[in-house]
Amino acid sequence: MHGQADRRSEAMRSASEGTRRRAFTGLWVAALLAILTFLVIYPVFMLLLGALTDTNPVVDGIRLSLSHLSIANFLAVLANPNVAEALLNTLIACGGGTVIAVAIGLLFSWIVVRTNTPFKGFIAAASILPLFAPPLVAGVAWAILGSPKTGLINTMFKWMGSDLRVDLYSMWGLVFVFGIYYAPYVYMFTSSALRNMDPSLEEAAEISGASPVATLFTVTFPLIMPAIVSGMLLSFIVMLGIYGIPAVLGAPTNLNVLTTYIFKLTNWSPPLYNTAAAVAIILMVVTGLLVYLQQKLLSGRSYTTVAGKAFRPRSLDLGPWRWLTFAIGIVYLLIVVVLPSLALIVAAFRKFMFIRDVASLFDMRQYSLTHFESIFDNPLTMRSIYNAVEVGVITAVVGGALAFAIGYTIHRTRVSGRGAIDLISTLPVAIPGLVVGVAYLWAWIGVPGGLYGTIWILALAFIARFMPDTVKALSTSFLQIHRELEEAAWVCGKGMLGTIRTIVLPLARPGVLASMTLLFVLAIRELGSSLFLYTSNTMVMSVLLLDYYEGGNIGKTAAFSLVQTVLLGVLIGGANWLSRGSAQGNVARTG
Amino acid sequence: MDRRTFTTLALASVATLALAPAAQAQEFGSAELIAAAKSEGKLVYYTANFAEIEQQVIKAFNKRFPEIKVEMVRAPGGQLITRVKTEAAAGKLIADVVDHSDRALMQPLEDLFQDYAPPNAADYDPHALISPKYWPRATIAWSIAYNTELVKDPPKSWMDLTKPQYDKLIGQVFAQSGGTTWTRIMFERQVLGEDYWAKQAATHPVLYPSGAPTADALVRGEIAIAPLLYNVIYQKKKDGAPIEIFFPPEGAPVNPYATGIPKTAAHPNAAKLFLNWCLSKEGQTFMIKELGNLTSLKTPPAYPEGFDPKVVKLWYPKFDEYVKLHAAWVADWDKTFGYRQ
Repeated sequence: MHGQADRRSEAMRSASEGTRRRAFTGLWVAALLAILTFLVIYPVFMLLLGALTDTNPVVDGIRLSLSHLSIANFLAVLANPNVAEALLNTLIACGGGTVIAVAIGLLFSWIVVRTNTPFKGFIAAASILPLFAPPLVAGVAWAILGSPKTGLINTMFKWMGSDLRVDLYSMWGLVFVFGIYYAPYVYMFTSSALRNMDPSLEEAAEISGASPVATLFTVTFPLIMPAIVSGMLLSFIVMLGIYGIPAVLGAPTNLNVLTTYIFKLTNWSPPLYNTAAAVAIILMVVTGLLVYLQQKLLSGRSYTTVAGKAFRPRSLDLGPWRWLTFAIGIVYLLIVVVLPSLALIVAAFRKFMFIRDVASLFDMRQYSLTHFESIFDNPLTMRSIYNAVEVGVITAVVGGALAFAIGYTIHRTRVSGRGAIDLISTLPVAIPGLVVGVAYLWAWIGVPGGLYGTIWILALAFIARFMPDTVKALSTSFLQIHRELEEAAWVCGKGMLGTIRTIVLPLARPGVLASMTLLFVLAIRELGSSLFLYTSNTMVMSVLLLDYYEGGNIGKTAAFSLVQTVLLGVLIGGANWLSRGSAQGNVARTG
Repeated sequence: MDRRTFTTLALASVATLALAPAAQAQEFGSAELIAAAKSEGKLVYYTANFAEIEQQVIKAFNKRFPEIKVEMVRAPGGQLITRVKTEAAAGKLIADVVDHSDRALMQPLEDLFQDYAPPNAADYDPHALISPKYWPRATIAWSIAYNTELVKDPPKSWMDLTKPQYDKLIGQVFAQSGGTTWTRIMFERQVLGEDYWAKQAATHPVLYPSGAPTADALVRGEIAIAPLLYNVIYQKKKDGAPIEIFFPPEGAPVNPYATGIPKTAAHPNAAKLFLNWCLSKEGQTFMIKELGNLTSLKTPPAYPEGFDPKVVKLWYPKFDEYVKLHAAWVADWDKTFGYRQ
């Protein structure tokens, strides 16, 4: 009797627990969807409204805008041969750039993570530096190096008596700079996957007689395919949305891509935001197709390699060949980090950038601290640094937490509604920053409580805008953690939150830290969406940097971007140092 | 000089020195306005001009009125207008002063602005005024600049820019970029001739989105010659860049700004004082001498270096044509220069 009563009460308890759990998951999904609606759906709705009308939804009111619906903007845009040409240029530049980025990034992460190449830690840490530099600055640096008329590389060739000339003001230049600039992006994704991979699989291949190269291509790379595809896709998509590099390198020869075209539309007088919104929708469609493709490719396969067994990452003994990989690493660093940095340093310290010949380049009388003095003489400089760091920290912490919640819900639960969450959280990746800035302004300026004019409106915009990057970066770590680990925790009586806290969070920690760092860097660099959201009190570094650039002062632009790069380096290095020892989540290594 | 004369002179000069600031302060507004402005303590200033240039204006203003902090928001013309419109529609216009280079974009927003006139309103040239609410805080003119390291046989006029010897050496700001460039291309077509664009386009100029990157490209030697707003390139010459600038004899197209105080300004007195100072003889003289502006005062207190009023004719666009011709002429320009929309 007793036993029966016990069982019954237990059954009742578990039934009520089930109800509670269902209520909880229902609330959870509803809350996530509400947040995503505010952050993503509402601004995208405003953008669509903008694309489908000739009105400004805030000025003219939503009702009037709705009564003006037409597809005239789309027809005009689709009929314009220049838009088609810009689209074609975009696909060529981003496609070529992605091929280079993946080749370099993958090779490099293999060198750093899986071989005994000397000084690989140093090479790895230095290789992520380009990520700190805003695209605009990268564009400027490569223009200084690779301009057909005044580029330092050509000046050097001339001095050496060589007839070789480079011209980066071209499609080839764009592809090259895209590729090397985003190689660290691919590297970030693939290196953490390589590090988390169980080497016993490779050992098995080798025992079966496969050569190291064959193992690499038949076991290693296929196993980290989610990371490769994610990195490839994301770098392609990020390239789609980049303005700074094609703006600087494409402008002199009138080479348009979609972003520079959109920027032109918003910068014309009078500005054509509605047309810009329509062009932006084309970008969104292209991106949407790519995301769909990625999910198609990755669905139905298992990529779990982090299982319950302990392993140590193994490095391949390359013997004397390790000096070859070392040399490759050095060449990579030279091209990706040293050359552009030197160009910026020359520009920052040199009074004027007119460089007649090599002798003039080394004429020390041409160098001074003027540009640094004048940027720190400007009271906005310190204010913008402070604001940028504040926005960066808020974005990293809040955005990281949100991305973790979303990533976990998508990949580790079977709740209904997760498909919608996945889709909505991927959407922002497709919207170019400049246009989405206006959409955020339209959407959020009327929010009661005075969001406009505060740091938070910027932070929210960055959280929304970079949600796909963060969620994707985290997803790779979620995909790798085997369910058996969580199941073990459940068996031991842990609840869902307890499991997350004790199992998932510690295991995904390198990924979480890496994505929060990524978010911090992206937030500090982000320009497009800040342009409409900052006010005199909330000026951030990227906006001030654009002011310097638009003010036509390459010296101050270079000086300020050096300040920004050093600041990011110090902050991230410091964060790394603080978190060192407790985990492998060292950003310099994962990232 | 005997002792008495000396004493009198000394006393007089001491008195002048002591009274001068008070007397001059009057020039910028009544004692009540100044007191009210100081108690407001700050203003928010929206401008389409370059931040670096305006930073210097704010510094000079603060020399006279250190108690008033000027917070600046700088954005290119099109973006600034969008921001002002959207903020105003949402009832959140933060600006106390809006300063814009394109008068045609500002005119439709007249209702947002309050009545305002500086103490020296009568001294301003009516050509530069499009509304009693807007004032030409800054007035800037086009000039031609060249890199002295690269050009040994420099052009001397607008017409020289059509010479084949300068093929692929000239840089230009494209027509669609805003009010100042629109003024220039209007001048080219109306004054230099219907075929001037075509002749200029035949020299294959490199097109830039705005004056600043053009100026930068000129200093670096990417291009050798460029029509530029004097105030954009003057600073670089002053700092020692290998640049020479001149005002061509056929005329210098002039673009007066439109600057006003919104009705919703939270710091209206500080805004008035700031504009009074900017529009005063002192403010205009500062902008002419230090920044390379011109002025819309009927009697200019000074001229920028290299500007000879006997030689250079200023050219103001007729405002009705400035508004009316814009769309069609810009489209023509784009076609002529092969600039793709």
